[in-house]
Amino acid sequence: MNDRNEDPATREPAHDKVRGRNTRTGIYAITGGLLLFLFAIMVRDEFAFRGRENSPPAANVPLSFTPPPMSKIPDGPEGASIRHGMAIFENTGTEAKPFVGNQLACRSCHLDAGRKADSAPMWAAWVSYPQYRAKNKKMNTMEDRLNGCFSYSMNAQGSPSGGPPPKGDPIYADLEAYFHWLASNAPTGAKLKGAGFLKLKLPQAGYDRDRGRAVYAQHCASCHGDDGQGRTDINGRQVFPPLWGPRSYNWGAGMAQLNNAAGFIKANMPLGAGNTLTDQQAWDAAAWIDSQERPKDPRQKGTVAENVVAFHSGEKTFYGKTVDGHLLGSGTEAPVQASRR
Amino acid sequence: MSKPGPVDEAYEPYEPRRRVPLPVYWVAIALALWGALTLWQDSTADRTGARERLMEANALERRQTMTGSALFAERCATCHQADGSGISGAIPPLASSRFVQADPRVIVQILLHGINGPIVVDGDDFNGHMPAFGSVLDHDQLARLATAVRRTWGPGGIIDPRFVAAERARTANRGIPWSGGAEIAAALDPAIGIQPAYHPPASASADTTALSIARNGKSGGWSCASCHGANGEGRDGVPRLAGQSADYIAGQLLAFANGSRPNDIMRPVASQLSASERGGLGRLYAALASPSTSRSELAGDLARGAELALYGDDRRNLPSCFSCHGPSGFGVAPSTPSIAAQQPGYTAGRLAALARFARSRPGAVMPAIAARLNDTDRRAVADYLATLPPSPVTARKDAR
Repeated sequence: MNDRNEDPATREPAHDKVRGRNTRTGIYAITGGLLLFLFAIMVRDEFAFRGRENSPPAANVPLSFTPPPMSKIPDGPEGASIRHGMAIFENTGTEAKPFVGNQLACRSCHLDAGRKADSAPMWAAWVSYPQYRAKNKKMNTMEDRLNGCFSYSMNAQGSPSGGPPPKGDPIYADLEAYFHWLASNAPTGAKLKGAGFLKLKLPQAGYDRDRGRAVYAQHCASCHGDDGQGRTDINGRQVFPPLWGPRSYNWGAGMAQLNNAAGFIKANMPLGAGNTLTDQQAWDAAAWIDSQERPKDPRQKGTVAENVVAFHSGEKTFYGKTVDGHLLGSGTEAPVQASRR
Repeated sequence: MSKPGPVDEAYEPYEPRRRVPLPVYWVAIALALWGALTLWQDSTADRTGARERLMEANALERRQTMTGSALFAERCATCHQADGSGISGAIPPLASSRFVQADPRVIVQILLHGINGPIVVDGDDFNGHMPAFGSVLDHDQLARLATAVRRTWGPGGIIDPRFVAAERARTANRGIPWSGGAEIAAALDPAIGIQPAYHPPASASADTTALSIARNGKSGGWSCASCHGANGEGRDGVPRLAGQSADYIAGQLLAFANGSRPNDIMRPVASQLSASERGGLGRLYAALASPSTSRSELAGDLARGAELALYGDDRRNLPSCFSCHGPSGFGVAPSTPSIAAQQPGYTAGRLAALARFARSRPGAVMPAIAARLNDTDRRAVADYLATLPPSPVTARKDAR
């Protein structure tokens, strides 16, 4: 454009040449710019998303699972059943009064309304039933399992009706509706992270109830009381559950086995400060708690010694052992006021 | 290429045109595209932000005009349960309760002043303690709450805020809860039927030493009332003491004195006290049924506060406040204090102070929990707890 003095005859080709050059430059510039831009985006994404992608789940790695929030319980008759199931779970002594023989509720051990991982959450239980259980040597449906919960953990033998809810009782349906909802979108039969209680290896030093007494006094007694009877609020409502004695779980309960109790304690206790006790402390505290007398095993037909052979062989338990001159498993007297919860 | 001859006056210097290197174009174009992308993303974020702010404002409005059943879920269901079935042996049911069926004055008066004494509901005996909502809910909220309860478990109908206001004015000087079902039936609606008689507890003679320390201080020291208020109601960052567990107060005074609870203001005051004086002050404040003066004042999110207090937050491994402090935050004697109607400045400050012990006291529960609460959550939960009715006064059963 500043070639003002060039011969008009030669102008056209020169102009074409310049135009061609400019076009070429333009193409190079845009292509290069675009490539640079794309490269920059790739670099950014590489850093921004690094580590966020989930590797495809391997077959044996447990999946993490989060149950839906309470606010997502549907309306309608199904929602009503789910809500009632949750009410039974939280307020067992009132909602299932005829079948509860102690001061516990489902949520006493299945924390956070059965939602909390490592405290036998109900979303994990739902996807692992029906299941064969060595405890009763048969294929168990969820109803069979719940029947066991009432018989042992809720000590149904001491309840107004004297036993667990009969087969087909709506209590089972509502509890199952609640569990089914908690397990929304969980894969059936898959291993879920946080299922059951923590499997805690027995430390070198084993477990010891005298060491456990000290752990208990330091870390447990302020809520559960020196006497293990828990505490009630101003209205006489049980806030911290009793751990032994006539108002706690009986000798047939899973929690009466040290490995279960130790795993539960390690992951969850003291409430809000889980995983702060050492494995050793958890085992020892479990030994102290589970070497106290509690309601007798409802399966017992003959003597305690016979019942050890029938139902407690191979368990890590104090059942049938003599501690301080007392044969554990003898059972407790029925409490004066069983209905209070 | 300029013409020869005299110097051109109009000569303008210029640079010969050189080609711009290609990389400059590349960078310029890449930057332009990058800028366009950023602008586009920002504008989306801005639109999203505006939408979120709008949703927040709507949620706030919904909370302020909370429906009666929402108020019930947050204020009443922890004890009476969502389905109104109560707790066997401890909390009366609302379903099938004659008190809900009765004249509307009954439910309004119970909500205003609470109950303290024996009551028979649906054939079962209870000897519970219902808090007074008069100092924490206004006419409008009380009317909506009472309407919802009567619609669900009673005869229905609408209770007007003006009716609540009139009832409040009529019993403004009452000051104490209704003494069990008998007084309610006699004073408000005989149709409720036979109720167990109320036997007032043998009133302990006034502890003049404790009263003097509370009002005037000990040997020239500060009096309790100078900071905690004439009725132990607290203010700003100073805690409410009224209705707190006697053992808890005595225990904290000891902890201030021996330094296990470090506090420069309380240490000199508490160090002056003997064991019997600590116990006397504890009993004095435990017996005070002062109305709540606590109000949400930390701009906390009340819905989040309610969530933490009632349900906790499982994603952050936070148990609910009520799982240890009792189903209404009234505390569990002797070691777990009442947190209901506490001054929010104190609650938030105390949580922040406890969080600092998280490392030095492993295994201690509250420091571990407090450390997992961020500042926003501390303000939210403190503000929510300030909206709760104060703990009813009762001779608490110690150690169960």
